Amino acid sequence: MSTLLIDGQEIALDKDGFLVELSDWSPAAAEALAEREELPLSAEHWEILELLRGFYSEFQLSPATRPLIKYVALKLGPDKGNSLNLNRLFKGTPAKLAAKLAGLPKPTNCL
Amino acid sequence: MATLHLLSHSPFSDSRLASCLRLLGPDDGVLLSGDAVYALQPGTAQLQALELMPASIALYALDEDLQARALSAPARAQAIDYPTFVELCGHYAKVNSWL
Amino acid sequence: MSKSMLIISRQAPWAGPSTREALDIALAGGAFDLPLGLLFLDDGVFQLVAGQQAAALQQKDLTANLQALPLFGVEELFVSSRSLTERGLIDAQLILPAVELDDHALAQLLDRFDQVVTI
Repeated sequence: MSTLLIDGQEIALDKDGFLVELSDWSPAAAEALAEREELPLSAEHWEILELLRGFYSEFQLSPATRPLIKYVALKLGPDKGNSLNLNRLFKGTPAKLAAKLAGLPKPTNCL
Repeated sequence: MATLHLLSHSPFSDSRLASCLRLLGPDDGVLLSGDAVYALQPGTAQLQALELMPASIALYALDEDLQARALSAPARAQAIDYPTFVELCGHYAKVNSWL
Repeated sequence: MSKSMLIISRQAPWAGPSTREALDIALAGGAFDLPLGLLFLDDGVFQLVAGQQAAALQQKDLTANLQALPLFGVEELFVSSRSLTERGLIDAQLILPAVELDDHALAQLLDRFDQVVTI
């Protein structure tokens, strides 16, 4: 288990780098998590992260890859909601990495 | 000797409620918790049977179980919390749990 | 073509782990694009009631989870009209657009799927 230092506060991470307490999430935490993944966050990333947080508050679970693509296509159109675009933005593992940065639990159905 | 009958199973998948209703004494009480609160679902034979009980038989339902199932207590039943549950168990001479 | 499967969920929402298990099978199968159907039968129809407060029992919000099914590709949702009627729910508003089927139609439904599992 490791920790993240945000504004002088230690935030606990699990062995896969996900937040232990979902309430610890903040935009600053997302930036710090992205830095650990060596992924600079652009506006395109933020758009997806905000969408994911909306998904979680609506359905109380993290989407696997297919539902994620479907949801992004539904909300932002098929130009953004396709596997090519999401793989490009999140290093080939959009469901897992985007969930991590958005402060969601690990998706259970994504192998 | 009055008995408080504790029911916690769905009356639609099981015969505990029906059996309990057949052997109630005049001063007994019935307390519904867990899935047994589904007996208060409006428009069902189960609620009708409970409403046909003599007025001397008290009917209670655990409030948090009602809330979790989007139900509210009808006039015949009294919604109670856990402290009241405990108090009632002491109030009756016997408690019969329909496990 | 993968084999199609019908999941029959027949327990009330807070009766134990069964409802969650049926949902997990549906979500996992849906995420892999398997042709799945989900049928709510007997006390399972109580899962579809609107306004349930999972927090009163410190449980996960089953209603929210169930509403994710269409996004997970599980769009074939059915409910027994007899089970609804027995429970006074025939005119109730349900949280999912499940197709109401009578007993005769249910027999045909089971026939249509390659595999059936009841939980």
